[in-house]
Amino acid sequence: MGVFISMGRSAPTQFLSRLVKTVLSGQVPPPGLFPEWMLDGAASLCSARASLTPLANVERLITTLRHKEPDHVPCCPLVISASRRLVGASFPEFAQDPYIAADALLAGFEFLGGEIIVPMLDLSVEAADFGQSMVYPEDSTPHPDYSDPLIKDVAGYGKLRRIDLKDARRMSNLLVLYPILVGEVGFRGAVCGFCFGPLGVLNMMRGAEHLFRDCVNHPREVMAAMETITDVLIEYVEAQCDAGVLGVTLDTLFASWNGLSREMWERIEGPFVRDIAHAIRKKGCLVAVHNCGHGVYFDSQIRFMEPDIISFAHLPDDCKDRKELKARYGDQVVLMGYVETPLLSYSTPFDVMQECRKMIHDLADGGGFILAPGCEYPPNLHLDNALALVEAARKYG
Amino acid sequence: MNRRSRPLNDMDQQRDVLITLKRSVGAPGADALKEWVDRAMKESIPVHDIRCALIQGVETLRHRLMSSDFGMPDFLLSIDSVLDGLDMLSGMEDAGSMPDTPIVIGVVKGDPHDLGKNIIAGIYRAYGYRVVDLGRDVCSDAFVQGVALNGAKILGISAMMSTTMSAMKDIIRDVKAKYPETKIIVGGAPLNEVLASSYGADAYVESAVSVIEQTMAILDTD
Repeated sequence: MGVFISMGRSAPTQFLSRLVKTVLSGQVPPPGLFPEWMLDGAASLCSARASLTPLANVERLITTLRHKEPDHVPCCPLVISASRRLVGASFPEFAQDPYIAADALLAGFEFLGGEIIVPMLDLSVEAADFGQSMVYPEDSTPHPDYSDPLIKDVAGYGKLRRIDLKDARRMSNLLVLYPILVGEVGFRGAVCGFCFGPLGVLNMMRGAEHLFRDCVNHPREVMAAMETITDVLIEYVEAQCDAGVLGVTLDTLFASWNGLSREMWERIEGPFVRDIAHAIRKKGCLVAVHNCGHGVYFDSQIRFMEPDIISFAHLPDDCKDRKELKARYGDQVVLMGYVETPLLSYSTPFDVMQECRKMIHDLADGGGFILAPGCEYPPNLHLDNALALVEAARKYG
Repeated sequence: MNRRSRPLNDMDQQRDVLITLKRSVGAPGADALKEWVDRAMKESIPVHDIRCALIQGVETLRHRLMSSDFGMPDFLLSIDSVLDGLDMLSGMEDAGSMPDTPIVIGVVKGDPHDLGKNIIAGIYRAYGYRVVDLGRDVCSDAFVQGVALNGAKILGISAMMSTTMSAMKDIIRDVKAKYPETKIIVGGAPLNEVLASSYGADAYVESAVSVIEQTMAILDTD
């Protein structure tokens, strides 16, 4: 676990003042405020107590993040846009009004439970602020208007300009949303921010097919645009950390068989996400990675970002089954996943619980596992199966 | 060189050209493949054999696709160059060409993601199928009309969002009601075999790796 602790060692006064301030405001302090030995000690105590009494949500999380066994596995149901239905909001309202989104996500947290909320709106937030025109359907997730891409040709990469966060409407909305959630959730759970990786943002402004070809034919132009985007994203994740989130999730979809080859990803996106991850860690927050592609390059992502958590939907490229996944990566990173979307879509809650039970059996041994869907809970699906997920964590975890 | 060995040498040379052509599929450099197609044509190699070499090259690439050393960018560019190579053969006599098997393909209404559909369409074309691409954001009526106008034996439907995938069910119902003999293949991130089957699809394609084998399998079931 790559928790940044130098602030705690080198500046005890600053450490204490931030710790006191965070705790008094009713928020979970970022793990980076604490020395590693203190986190390990707390996790060991919680793990020992877990066999006697139920742990609080935050205790369960700390125990899991330090790879110790909690009373049961934590759960992150990843109910994001689906939560809008609990407050009767439409997709466009959820995506564009931070107060409505806050109400919806809090309703989801109260209704479902679980230990972690990942408040993201959709994958176009950052691209929209760079100037990509958007479509906000009434019955589906917002997306770029691909008939009008911001980057229309190779020359367009060079025309991309840095934006100021205060002028970035959609990112600013999330920076309004995060403190509301952090304050309301308090010690009952963890709020984890979200940021699409720079290649993903570029994909939203160029279109996947063109971007993929450009990665081979015009890598210099692509990487120049990535540089511009990354500068803004670093500022964005730092602002998320300042808003009180426990960690920030970086989505690096293209580090998988669905994207670039391992070598190309390490060359084109790896260095940029390394800088973003470093900025998050410097703020004392957790680094989480989400990648719902097939054959995710776990080892490359660990090397570049040193994440605390990897959220995934399919086995990594170098593991043939869950047993191998746990053996290879179980002590390097907290595994979060990976109930598949189709199963949630067509199965009964009982079937979902049985699948979760098997997953917990295979992956939860020794801590370091968070039960979650492999990707966002389907936004138009009833919430029965999300409840089944949370209940399975509690019952079988 | 004596008279008896001469035809054999020509054949050896032709075989070498075809092997190199096959290997040039997926090799770096956009023009390498076209140069070898040109060379094959100058060697008077039958069009059918040139086409087969290209298909064998694509075959190898398809099986490298779900691996860490060969990404989507390489695959897309390789398919582009294969299609360019096939264009060079168009209009030439091709006694062993594929039987005309029209395939209609498109992305469901409300879904703007067409990368997967375009990859599958490119592979079908590379294998000699006649592809009618309806594009993205296609409503059920347009799918039915596409099948009707082209006498499609296969209909491929793609959806990449859980919010749009259920449209497949209606499309399959509408197409099967009028053209029950048309085989329907579906694909996309939020799907799996069970869900595809529950929608009434004849096959679910997880990736480009297996699409040709699955297509041939469902055509064989007739």
